[in-house]
Amino acid sequence: MTARISRWPGIELRAADLIEGKVTQTRFRPDAKYAWSAGEAMSRFLEELQNGRFIARTCHKCERILFPPRMFCEECFRPTDEWTFIQDTGTIETFSVSYLDTDAKRIVEPILVGVVSLDGASPKMGMMHYFGEMTKEEIRIGMRVKAEWKPPGDRRGSVLDIRYFRPLRED
Amino acid sequence: MTFLDRTTDARKFRHWEGNVEADYIYTSGVAGERFFVTLRDEGRMLASRCTVCKLDYLPPRMFCEDCFAELTEFVDVPRAGRVAAVTVAHIDRTGAKLSHPQVWAFVTFEGIRGGLFHRLLVAPKQARAGLSVQVRLKPRNGRTGTIADIEGFEPVRS
Repeated sequence: MTARISRWPGIELRAADLIEGKVTQTRFRPDAKYAWSAGEAMSRFLEELQNGRFIARTCHKCERILFPPRMFCEECFRPTDEWTFIQDTGTIETFSVSYLDTDAKRIVEPILVGVVSLDGASPKMGMMHYFGEMTKEEIRIGMRVKAEWKPPGDRRGSVLDIRYFRPLRED
Repeated sequence: MTFLDRTTDARKFRHWEGNVEADYIYTSGVAGERFFVTLRDEGRMLASRCTVCKLDYLPPRMFCEDCFAELTEFVDVPRAGRVAAVTVAHIDRTGAKLSHPQVWAFVTFEGIRGGLFHRLLVAPKQARAGLSVQVRLKPRNGRTGTIADIEGFEPVRS
């Protein structure tokens, strides 16, 4: 309500009025089924995660290696050409020290998230993921990292088949 | 893969299935409430009247579509109506085949703008526009204040 209007015109209904059937009403539950597909390129990408590797698509025209893979080159406006595997090592492009969890709940110990550009793909192409085995003081743009995979039996063809990216050890 | 090799079946690839929870409760509104309560309790159908435009509305509505006046007056819908259009349904609203075809009609009433869409209680062969019909209601104890309180329209017995 406002200073000038103490009551809006119309009839107010409360949840109880509906539940007790004080007003005539029609109830319905639509059968709104859906199937959401990851599409051709992302389906293969997810399958290969289960195999513990990253797959990309190449475009013969611009000679880029596209990751995450896509069936269409957005630069050349033409279908991409071939599948190719790339490495599970890369470089941190950007990162965040997040004091919110995936439900936007406040947390005390921050999680580290960011974008990794992967070796073998064209520059700046990579994925977003968690970072682990490093502190918020240690993480840097340009840091070399490697995917930490879940054991093969625990992989589900999900991006979470990688636990996080950890510092690349040169040994 | 070219542009012409389109994939139209989401299930061919990795996919997620679900059901959107879109339950709803639809209330009748001010004029609709009056219509359904009178239908349920008294077995009468009401139209709302615009005294300015000399127009009646079925289903009743709260405002005149022509002059935007608020409508507070209600009048009884005449007993006999006329079938304006018919259709014979062979599938239900989910697409499943019906065991017997159903006849549906749009019924109008003289001097009233609008009308009601409902079952026409005749054999498919007898369904035609121009039939003189009257409403058949469920018995009082079976009525709940929805459009299903009407069983359908049947030919007027002369």
